[in-house]
Amino acid sequence: MDLLVDSLKSALLLLLSFDPELYEIVGVSLNVSFFSTLFAALFGLPAGFFIAFNSFRGKRLVMTCLNTLLALPTVVIGLVVYSLISRRGIFGPLELLYTQKAIIIGQIILIVPLITTLTIAAISRIDQRYRNTALTLGATYYQMGWVVFLEARFGIMAALIAAFGRVIAEVGISMMLGGNAKGFTRTMTTAMALEYDKGEFVLAVALGMVLMTFAFVINMVFHFLQGRLKSDAL
Amino acid sequence: MLYELNNVVRLFGSRTVLEIDSLSFEARKIYALIGPNGAGKTTLLNQLAFLDQPNSGEIRFRSTPVSYDHSSLTGLRRQVVLVDQSPILFSGSVWKNIEFGLKVRKIPKKERARRIEHALEMVTMSDFAHQDVYGLSGGEVKRVALARALALEPEVLLCDEPTANVDREHQEIILKILSHANSVRHTTIIFSTHYLSQSRQLAHRTLLLQNGRLSKNLEENIFQARIIRRDERLKCLVNGHLIPFSDPDGLASDNRQLRVHVDPQKVKLKAFGQKPVLSPWIPGKITSLSKENGNIRIMVDVGLKLQILLSEDEFIAHPYQVLQQVGVGLDGLGVTLLP
Repeated sequence: MDLLVDSLKSALLLLLSFDPELYEIVGVSLNVSFFSTLFAALFGLPAGFFIAFNSFRGKRLVMTCLNTLLALPTVVIGLVVYSLISRRGIFGPLELLYTQKAIIIGQIILIVPLITTLTIAAISRIDQRYRNTALTLGATYYQMGWVVFLEARFGIMAALIAAFGRVIAEVGISMMLGGNAKGFTRTMTTAMALEYDKGEFVLAVALGMVLMTFAFVINMVFHFLQGRLKSDAL
Repeated sequence: MLYELNNVVRLFGSRTVLEIDSLSFEARKIYALIGPNGAGKTTLLNQLAFLDQPNSGEIRFRSTPVSYDHSSLTGLRRQVVLVDQSPILFSGSVWKNIEFGLKVRKIPKKERARRIEHALEMVTMSDFAHQDVYGLSGGEVKRVALARALALEPEVLLCDEPTANVDREHQEIILKILSHANSVRHTTIIFSTHYLSQSRQLAHRTLLLQNGRLSKNLEENIFQARIIRRDERLKCLVNGHLIPFSDPDGLASDNRQLRVHVDPQKVKLKAFGQKPVLSPWIPGKITSLSKENGNIRIMVDVGLKLQILLSEDEFIAHPYQVLQQVGVGLDGLGVTLLP
């Protein structure tokens, strides 16, 4: 118990002293997580829309595959991407291994199925009457899609937040593809794992506190927007 | 003709929900669709709103066959608006909801504001313009949906049970709005209703749908009736007369109040001259005669206005006259219970 209390006190002091190493690690984490969520959204949102809006042969199979991919372990993704971007891999000449780009690629693979399935769920929850109402009021097919998107915006925002939360807290991909290089690819989670291995809990606890603070702030912002956007849809 | 439907069939799975051999709608008229639940009224309205495609058959709009590709449909839909039975409003304010259809039509902002204000005035909801739709009651939602459609000034306004879930005062307002849109803007109005009184009040023509099919010649002849057991048999009491009936939907039970339809082609007519009209014939007086599509339409006052259709041959054989005393014969085949 003393260890935890002492670590918490020291971590708080570390945070308040604006320790450059700590803030560098936080910066790398945010940078990597932001871009992986952004690129995954660029693919996952349209894919979710397409699947939710259309009936096609094999839709059920696609859904099953997406649900299976949700359970994909990060180390498996790490291994697959490693085999592709390591020096002997087909993308070896691009020299991506142990860079932030490599982490982003792995994390995109991790969260695309999550964003897609949550988008499908969000769109499917929207009453069919919204589509017909938009169409009968003269909307084109794309304008109708926009109406549905607006009505499903909270579900879609929740999907993006869940995806961001998933990547900022993952350790396997960051460790395997980033290599935990100080100042370059060291993220909050890989730094915490390293500090734990060294028996140094202070930085690990401080980073844990930052992670928890992020989770809290993101959810607060989401709830705030939910309240404001409710009356501001069209 | 505005709409022409030929051999239109709509299936849901293996069930035929709509089967229209031939039906046309004229521009600038008001049409009422009546029929029990599940008769196909909403399905027909969706077809007319170009929101659904028939499995077979052809729909023509302004003499042009409807093409169901996205680009053609948007053009057609911008002439026709459907107000749903349980309308849905987009999240946001009342104003933004009404503005939506005007925005997608790229109508200038000033004109949009004028139309929105006018539409809100018509439905007596001007005070709600900037209110969030989440706070509205069911009746208010219905009126906003109607305002949203009226602001578009469509050629055709389709309303699925426009007065359902609306209090009596606002029912009258809605009916007046529909009538006004037709008389002032010459909007063609097609609405479904359970109330014959509304169709009589508003419509130039009433169509009855039963089991997805149009009931021929059924524009009138729907009466209130009470089911009564007499001599171990159920009969219906209409305006003091006990008459047999057919009950395909199994609706009859002792002392139940419901509506009956009398098929004008299955009513028998007999001249009694100066003799008294004997039971089971019901005494009546002919009040009007008119020619209609090769038939003679005869209105007989039996305490209720009863429409009868005779073929020209029958009429030539029995040339009835206005004010003539006649006996009316109704058997079970021509009288059907309605839910």
